[in-house]
Amino acid sequence: MTTADNVPLSVRDEVLAIAASCNRFGLCISTCPTYVLTQQENESPRGRIELVRRMFEKSGRPDAETVAHIDSCLSCLACTTTCGVPVDYMHLIDRARAHVEANYQRPVGERVLRALVAALVPRPWLFGLTLRAARPLKRLARWLPKRLKPLVDLVPAQYPPRSEPMIPGTYAAEGARRARVMLVPGCAQQVLAPSINAATVRLLRRTGCEVVVPKGFSCCGSLTLHMGRHRQAQQSAQVLVAALRATEAAEAIDAIVINASGCGSTVKDYGHLLGNSPAFAVGGRRVGQLAVDVTEYLARIGLPAPLPNRTLAVAYHDACSLRNRQRVTAQPRALLAAAGFAVQNIPESHLCCGSAGTYNLLQPAAARLLGERKAAHIALTDAAVVAVGNIGCITQLARYCDRPVIHTVELLDWATGGPKPASIAHIDPCPAIVHTAEQLPSEEAIW
Amino acid sequence: MVKAADAFLTAMERELGAETIEHSVEAVERYGDTTMPSGNRRVHAVLLPRSTADVVTIVRLANEHHVGLYPVSAGHNLGLGTRSPVRDDQIVVDLGRRMNRILELNEELGYAVVEPGVTFQALHDELVRRGDKLMISATSGPPLGSVLGNALDKGGGYSPYFDHFGTLCGFEVVQGNGSTIRTGDGSLHNDKLPNWPVSKYTFGPILDGLFAQSNFGIVVRAAVWLMPRPPVIRTFHAIFEHDDDIGSIIDAIRPLKLTNFVPTLFRVTNDLYAIGPEERAENLGRQPDARDISPEQRRILREKRGLGAWQASAAFYAGSEADIAPMLARVSSHFRNKGAVRIIDHAQAQLIHPLLIASDSFSGRPTAAELTLLSWRPGGGAIWFLPGTPMSGRTAAELDVLARGLFAQHEFDYIIMHVAGARFARSLYLILFDRRSAEECHRADACYRALTSAYATRGIGVGRAAIDYHGLHMDLQMPAFQQTVLAIKSALDPNGVIAPGKYGIG
Repeated sequence: MTTADNVPLSVRDEVLAIAASCNRFGLCISTCPTYVLTQQENESPRGRIELVRRMFEKSGRPDAETVAHIDSCLSCLACTTTCGVPVDYMHLIDRARAHVEANYQRPVGERVLRALVAALVPRPWLFGLTLRAARPLKRLARWLPKRLKPLVDLVPAQYPPRSEPMIPGTYAAEGARRARVMLVPGCAQQVLAPSINAATVRLLRRTGCEVVVPKGFSCCGSLTLHMGRHRQAQQSAQVLVAALRATEAAEAIDAIVINASGCGSTVKDYGHLLGNSPAFAVGGRRVGQLAVDVTEYLARIGLPAPLPNRTLAVAYHDACSLRNRQRVTAQPRALLAAAGFAVQNIPESHLCCGSAGTYNLLQPAAARLLGERKAAHIALTDAAVVAVGNIGCITQLARYCDRPVIHTVELLDWATGGPKPASIAHIDPCPAIVHTAEQLPSEEAIW
Repeated sequence: MVKAADAFLTAMERELGAETIEHSVEAVERYGDTTMPSGNRRVHAVLLPRSTADVVTIVRLANEHHVGLYPVSAGHNLGLGTRSPVRDDQIVVDLGRRMNRILELNEELGYAVVEPGVTFQALHDELVRRGDKLMISATSGPPLGSVLGNALDKGGGYSPYFDHFGTLCGFEVVQGNGSTIRTGDGSLHNDKLPNWPVSKYTFGPILDGLFAQSNFGIVVRAAVWLMPRPPVIRTFHAIFEHDDDIGSIIDAIRPLKLTNFVPTLFRVTNDLYAIGPEERAENLGRQPDARDISPEQRRILREKRGLGAWQASAAFYAGSEADIAPMLARVSSHFRNKGAVRIIDHAQAQLIHPLLIASDSFSGRPTAAELTLLSWRPGGGAIWFLPGTPMSGRTAAELDVLARGLFAQHEFDYIIMHVAGARFARSLYLILFDRRSAEECHRADACYRALTSAYATRGIGVGRAAIDYHGLHMDLQMPAFQQTVLAIKSALDPNGVIAPGKYGIG
């Protein structure tokens, strides 16, 4: 049963129920990056909830203004961390995006851009090929259509150095096996920073994990989900469910480890994404239950002993998907500290860096402002490097930041015996800094 | 009125520019949102000043056009009126949007000079960025609440600097008559004022108090004193099993605070106040025809969360864990002798989520965790009733029986926290109701009025009040007090342009 504009009634009911749960306290607005940038009510979660409610209540094509406000949302979910009411904003905005995608005709240029992103980025081989082919275009960027420039900006000036290839298969544990895990290798990450997966596998093996990298799997569906391509996201999710089934046909696994937190947020929610699919609902829930961020898992099983003289001052950047959706903030800091790094927090850590999946491709102006703002805050720290748990943030911050941006796992791998990451090869280690009350200067030692 | 307001806005736009007026219809509407049983207010317009000079212009033009202004800081006064004017058709002056600068942060003397829009979170973040050497006195309310707004509304925290109005020093105020004054040592006729942020008691009357819970002027800056952050902060929590233990708890706390053996205030939360942020009433399943939850359901919740009918939480500050251990042993023994069934130490409390709020509060860390208490019941209705009790166990117990009975009579869940000091405990009762139901709104209003009347009969007023009840509480004050307040209002705001009706004045 559907309404006049083909919205399945259950989706419509879900959205309206979520919208009704908002009490309009307004605690969300000051933590919303787009509200901070624009100070406009409709650029805040509270404003968007009202717009989405109206969009679903009335039949027909959404109006352009509503679409623009939905498009400009980063889905960073900072709003959900400050609200006095548990409003399920994530599913509300995902449903709204799918509704827009199904019912709104975008201008031609935008359609082309979105189609390109949805077709290229989730397919590592095609994305890699495109990046290589597009490198010469960087020099021609000024003559390209405006909408395509962000795509070309994403092309690395230098292609990442070749790293240990992430070949699907089973990687044996070093020493006695303590666990068997499946690694979700990510799509864009494999191309943009293959060193992350290599470091993850090395580190997990060193902790005693047997690591299974599934065959035939690339994208988890996160990118397409956030573009409103719900069906495409479901198809990607079904591939991962099938991969888990195939892997567990041989032997059950203990966890699905994810090292791109944007993917982690989506995979943990497969129970909802595949909830209406009779063939995949149960499998979706199982995937969601097994999914853990790599730092969550390492915190659970413990880190190998760190080696001496492999420490740096590190500014830790909270990816929104880890901080706001998965609520994983303590573990990465604790792991870095345990490995000997001097961990610093970045001011205004709740505000998104502007990456947000495909946001920096589709909303480049706002993404640039947020990227520059975050980089300015990072510049206030004494850290030599920035550690992040999400490839999207790494790519975004690297464009604006004055120091290397690196995945948390690469630092942990290096500290516990792995090779020094290429991006920090030029930085000398420093002794770990440990503050205790006794070491404080005398004036503070009054206590 | 509307005509005068429109003429005022035209003059505003001419003098301060269009960007000083919020033009979005949706945004203006949201300024009238409340959690009150009487519903939302109609807001005529919203102004966004950038500076003291802008505020001076706004007040001057309001006097010329005889329009009512309603200044708000961050506008997160949930359960007391949020950011909504007391009356319809007033013009909100949102000081938080653009006057949100930390003007000075002096780590040597321990103070910050702030504008009204500086939030607890912003000030905390800036202190952390500078090395975390000082700490704010956090509330357990919205982290995005205004430091200055909270203090001027007589809000409080839990640390030794809990008295937020008391830790303000030296205001700059644009009075209703348009003149700007500095208070404290800032009142000297000089441009150099080294004592303005550190001394309140200069020559002449102390005027600061005139601007707490009043509508005589708009405070545009003040210094707030900040405490050095202790290296080690360790909470403890004494758990009591029975509702009628409240008298023993109050008597147990009093000597610990009179001697200052415990440096923080005590959060004495009942079961629903502590557990409410983690649970939803509608998930518990209700007895047929019951509108509040049953004693058995409360017991199940307490067991599930490992808490009691009451939990008395506080913290020690010291240089090391070793310094704290003997104090903790002494206080544990003290509470056990007074009937506590167990003492939860800091490490154990880290595993009990409802107790983490106390941990953050005593550590000067803003937390949003307690805000979810507002969704214990659906529908977004909330009123704080904020009387208090002397730190006498017998009186506290009598008042508890009284309030518990009135909540039950009006079929609302009994949600209460006492914030206890040496001689006085502020009592925070929360009436949560479904604003979508006219019947619940009526019942919530009746409950509030019954509580007010019952306490007033016993000679007890409130520390703060929700906007629906400002007039009610002012009417309970002695006539000479009311006349004096009105005389001051006439002197400082002769045209009554600042927040007419707020706090029952004008």
